[in-house]
Amino acid sequence: MRDSEGFVRMRTLQVVVLLVFALIVGRLAYIQLFDSRYDDLARANVLRHVVQYPPRGEVFDRNGEYLVQSRECYDLMVISSEIDKRGFDTARLCEVLNLSRVKLDRELANARMRPRAPRLVMSYISKEDKLRFDECNFRGFYAVYRTVRQYPREVGGNLLGYVSEVNADYLKRHPDYKIGDYVGMGGVESAYEPELRGRKGVKIQEIDTHGAIKGSYMNGRYDSLPDPGRYLVSTIDARLQLLGEELMRGKVGAAVAIEPSTGEILMMVSSPTYDPDRLVGRERGNNYMEMLRNKRQPLFNRAVRAAYPPGSTFKLVQGLIGLQEGVLRPSDLHSCHMGYQAGRLKMACHSHASPLDLRFAVATSCNAYFCYVFRDILDNPKYGSVKEGYDVWKSYVESFGFGRKLGSDFLDERNGYVPDRAFYDRQYRGSWNSLTVLSLSIGQDALGCTPLQLANLAAIVANRGYYYIPHIVKKVEGRDSLDARFYERHYTKVDPKHFEPIVEGMWRGVNVGGTSMSARLDGWDVCGKTGTAENPRGRDHSTFLSFAPKDNPKIAISVYVENGGFGASAALPIASLLEEYYLTDTIRRPAMLQYVKNMNIYYPAYDK
Amino acid sequence: MTSNRHSGIFYGVDGWTVLLYVLIVLAGWLSITSASYEEGTADLFSFSHFYMKQLLWVGMAWVTALVVLLLDERFYHMFAYPAYLGGIVLLLGALLFGREVNGAKAWFEFGSFRVQPVEFVKIATALALARVMSEYSFSINRAGDLFRVGMVICIPLFIIILQNDTGSGIVLGSFLFVLYREGLNKWLCIPVLLIAALFIFSFLLSPMTLLVTLILVCTLSEAMMNGLWRSRIVFLAVLMLSSILLCFVMALVAPGVLDIYHSLLIVTILSLGFVAVYAYRSNLRNIYITLGLFIGSMVFLPTTDYIFNSILKQHQRDRILSFLGIISDPLGTDYNVNQAKIAIGSGNFWGKGFLEGTQIKYGFVPERHTDFIFCTVGEEWGFLGAVVILSLLCMLILRLMRMGERQQEPFGRIYCYCVAAILLFHVLVNVGMTIGLMPVMGIPLPFMSYGGSSLIAFTILLFIAVRLDASTRQFSLTKL
Repeated sequence: MRDSEGFVRMRTLQVVVLLVFALIVGRLAYIQLFDSRYDDLARANVLRHVVQYPPRGEVFDRNGEYLVQSRECYDLMVISSEIDKRGFDTARLCEVLNLSRVKLDRELANARMRPRAPRLVMSYISKEDKLRFDECNFRGFYAVYRTVRQYPREVGGNLLGYVSEVNADYLKRHPDYKIGDYVGMGGVESAYEPELRGRKGVKIQEIDTHGAIKGSYMNGRYDSLPDPGRYLVSTIDARLQLLGEELMRGKVGAAVAIEPSTGEILMMVSSPTYDPDRLVGRERGNNYMEMLRNKRQPLFNRAVRAAYPPGSTFKLVQGLIGLQEGVLRPSDLHSCHMGYQAGRLKMACHSHASPLDLRFAVATSCNAYFCYVFRDILDNPKYGSVKEGYDVWKSYVESFGFGRKLGSDFLDERNGYVPDRAFYDRQYRGSWNSLTVLSLSIGQDALGCTPLQLANLAAIVANRGYYYIPHIVKKVEGRDSLDARFYERHYTKVDPKHFEPIVEGMWRGVNVGGTSMSARLDGWDVCGKTGTAENPRGRDHSTFLSFAPKDNPKIAISVYVENGGFGASAALPIASLLEEYYLTDTIRRPAMLQYVKNMNIYYPAYDK
Repeated sequence: MTSNRHSGIFYGVDGWTVLLYVLIVLAGWLSITSASYEEGTADLFSFSHFYMKQLLWVGMAWVTALVVLLLDERFYHMFAYPAYLGGIVLLLGALLFGREVNGAKAWFEFGSFRVQPVEFVKIATALALARVMSEYSFSINRAGDLFRVGMVICIPLFIIILQNDTGSGIVLGSFLFVLYREGLNKWLCIPVLLIAALFIFSFLLSPMTLLVTLILVCTLSEAMMNGLWRSRIVFLAVLMLSSILLCFVMALVAPGVLDIYHSLLIVTILSLGFVAVYAYRSNLRNIYITLGLFIGSMVFLPTTDYIFNSILKQHQRDRILSFLGIISDPLGTDYNVNQAKIAIGSGNFWGKGFLEGTQIKYGFVPERHTDFIFCTVGEEWGFLGAVVILSLLCMLILRLMRMGERQQEPFGRIYCYCVAAILLFHVLVNVGMTIGLMPVMGIPLPFMSYGGSSLIAFTILLFIAVRLDASTRQFSLTKL
């Protein structure tokens, strides 16, 4: 037995056997002890995280009325393998849920691909339909809770924004969102997304290889309940907003009302607007595309994004700068005979008494007067050159909030435009003076202001020299205060003492004699300033700035109507009616109301 | 020797082997229970469950083991050839009339009960091999004897491969283990292993590379065997130079007719005659063996491409390719192996506990009670459990080798080694495939995988060895 050859070979083979087992054990040790990814893969196999969607926060108006509600709705799911084998009453299902037979058949065919996995058949099923569906008891079908937006007042399309499922681009930039989540787009919905969103809950289920649910994981130890979104109290007055939208119907433009003492936006209309309900539910996509194709661009929030020439309303700023710069005293008289003339250049004006002082010039909106003021600012010898003078002027203008974002809570707010020196250097190849840019004096030329900036100007004048950043939200549930920037007074570079003559002029324009006479409200001391902005592409734009009452103003408003003609013909009555409604809760001028409602402006630029 | 049987059938039976066997079978049964248990079943003890059926099979296997122990050891010696012939007839019968399961036409079906003759052919081949090699005057390094051994192994192997049950066929290749123990020159074992590897990878290599590798492997192993280095190097150089010369000359005479591969082929074939003459003249008989190996490989290598592309089924091709990392498809071909690895890998050190393995319970591992039974061990009992099971199997194999070594007769020794080789190969391939060491071949884990014919066949295989060993010990015990 002990032949040494066989013994050596036996030993060799024993080593081979041990090596084979050592190899297997080594590999096992690697897989089981060192390589941890198999744990995650195993969990991914077995666990299904069922998201529990939180109801999105609701939005109230300043008086506690619902602007946005979260309505419960249901998604219809099906598990193909659980459907009654003998068939079911498809006609009844279609009828109960108002579902087309073709779509049902298609979805059922898709569901058969993975017979034991739940599959979405139909979304946005109303509560009523769901109750009727529950009565019928179709095997294999069940409804899942979700919430959608609902707008009881049907106002504030652009103001409130809308909610949609996240797209791929958004997902890339926001890793904390997952496919199937909803996200606010535009307006309040996007500005307060983190507050409104809430936190999703999760229910962890164990599933088998076919996707069938086997039970909850660890008896629900790691499950969490959804945390509903916070509610918001908006600064909007829903009734004023509704009236504003009604009045702006048929016109393109925007109207913004601000409470001067706080900077709260009372109303913000971008016209044309849309019923926010149209961007909810099954028809969302179609409606959205339709609006996208609409040439009047209902999805474009003109109130914070459009850059309009301010026209004569800008004379307020001009006068204030002149006073602060010391080139103008309220009692200074300038003469105007149907316009301003300097060499070959002539700036036309309308007929009014002459000569006139600052108060009267504001009330009657004299072009010539402010040409003098503007030139005096720019040509002020203490700055050496016109261009230096222009820089000074521009810094004043910017201190009124023009040419930059105000910093409101609208994320898509735009700058407007105040041209800088370089702009005119390019335009006039470096050679220009106060006469070249004279039309800036009456708010024309390259100036662009958003309606929000103009309303802010009205608020500045109403406050005699300062403003609070306009904002749309008054209170967030569970928070004591808003962002600090909304509580800070922003002063302009013009001393408050200079505002009185301007205010006086605006008051006279309404109450004594001027361009704004029809804005008068008995007992409310309305102050106003019209504007008629020339427009190379058609009729003049009509704009009106106003606040009331003169002392302790409650509302400052700007209305801008594209191609509305004179300031007094379109924007003024709208602004006046809104003021009247806000201040007195009634409208005592049915004729004016009728006039505005019947005003439908023809827009060749949009309607071609 | 019947007179020595006075102490009953358990007299001389190796207790360790039986103990290991019982432990492994019970562990296998627990795993099957885990893999096939469904929560909320109404009738826990119904025979529709795999674990209840397997319980029945375990009982039958133990009865079979008793029967095997009852028979006289001379019976197995006598019975070896008839069993072998019967096995081949069964294989052919399955090939012609059998039922196809998973692409392999290798099953007989009796009602709901299916038998794979391969399981029993392993036993018959082991017996026949033991019989041939234990003949008086048998010498393994003699070409004629080696040829007989080769035929005994290769005839069933080819029939099994024809049945498209490649995995089971290759099991018979594990008898190389036995041949080595019985004194086969190691310089013959190594080229055989190399050539086997060459077969597996042949479809990846160019014919030129294959031919050159083959020439090198054969010549160098022959040189190692006979220790005559110088002339072998000269031989290789002559081969190389003359094939280059031939190619060059032909390029001048008739351009494009002969490339370097075909020149080398022609030169090599011509040289075979010279090698044969050399072997005869210098009386180096073992050169014939190398020569046979080379010619055999030359004939079969071109067919591997054909086998790979025509005989292997798409899924088998994909398995090989995916094992080699040439294609990767986690949801398709790799799915089984990936899920197996996930199940085992998620078991960690302590495992998830009996009936707690989620991957097993929820059906992510395919074939979880048969070929992938080891996944249950890995997931539910963890690294610890897996090492315990592997240790039991390893101890069983080493014990079989030890049993073989103490046999008086070569017949017993060779048979024990055959059993050890079969078990080792099964464990390596089966466990290896669940952890990504081996490509997926549908062969069961001995004593553990679900299935009656497999369990009974392995039981018979093992207990014949126990029986042979027992009579040797009875003999030596009574002699004392």
